[in-house]
Amino acid sequence: MKANVLFIILLVFLTSLFDTINQLLLKTSINSLESNVNGIKKAFIFIIKLLSMPRVWLGFLFCCASLVVWLLALSKADLNFAFSADSMHYILIALASRIFLKEKVGFNRWVGTSLIVIGIILLTYSNA
Amino acid sequence: MSKRKVTLKIVLFLLVTDLLETFTQFCFKKSANLQGDFLFKNLGDLPAFIKPLLFSPYLWIGFISVFLTFILWSTILSKIDLSVAVPIASFSYVLVPLVSIYFLHEVVTFLDWTGILFILAGVIFVSMGSAKSEAIRQ
Repeated sequence: MKANVLFIILLVFLTSLFDTINQLLLKTSINSLESNVNGIKKAFIFIIKLLSMPRVWLGFLFCCASLVVWLLALSKADLNFAFSADSMHYILIALASRIFLKEKVGFNRWVGTSLIVIGIILLTYSNA
Repeated sequence: MSKRKVTLKIVLFLLVTDLLETFTQFCFKKSANLQGDFLFKNLGDLPAFIKPLLFSPYLWIGFISVFLTFILWSTILSKIDLSVAVPIASFSYVLVPLVSIYFLHEVVTFLDWTGILFILAGVIFVSMGSAKSEAIRQ
């Protein structure tokens, strides 16, 4: 481990956070459109409509930011550590779906999220 | 309505997705290594960090791999449910450390593997959650 492990975790957290924001923006954009996309013509119109939404482009910016921070994390950390720690985006997505999209997050999903948290803590401890 | 059952072809597709995802991360890591000694002080340093990476073939091969993964993944999801696809696709949580050991000479300890197994179990549980919520919606 070249750099402080907590700094790496912070970078991975930022990557996951930016990606979660991107997913939220995309999901709310897609939800606002008609969901019945059968056939190539309808799919084409669906994509054009999506691309005309500023929200989608804002999401793309967050996607780029996520990638840059990810490369920054990779330049400082071992790949196996950073990649495993990146599983924290499952946690952020679960929280964001619950809070912003008012989706129901079931029992299994919270169990899974907790297991991921334990895994990341073990990895952090192991690489400290 | 539940989608068609998992065929051998789909499983092969999923394994290729795993391999591509792992390959992508390997390429990104290779390009990021160019800046291994980069001293990052503030946000103004970002352009200086990114510029050499944009000239790295590894980064662009990684992008192509991301694109291919996306197409393959979309194809898979049109054939089977997400809750079935995710557990098989999370094989990359094991593949990436293996590639890290053999090609990047990283060290993965027993405690690391324990953490990875917890994460893998977690990802499978998370996707089982979506199986249930999909069933309720239908």
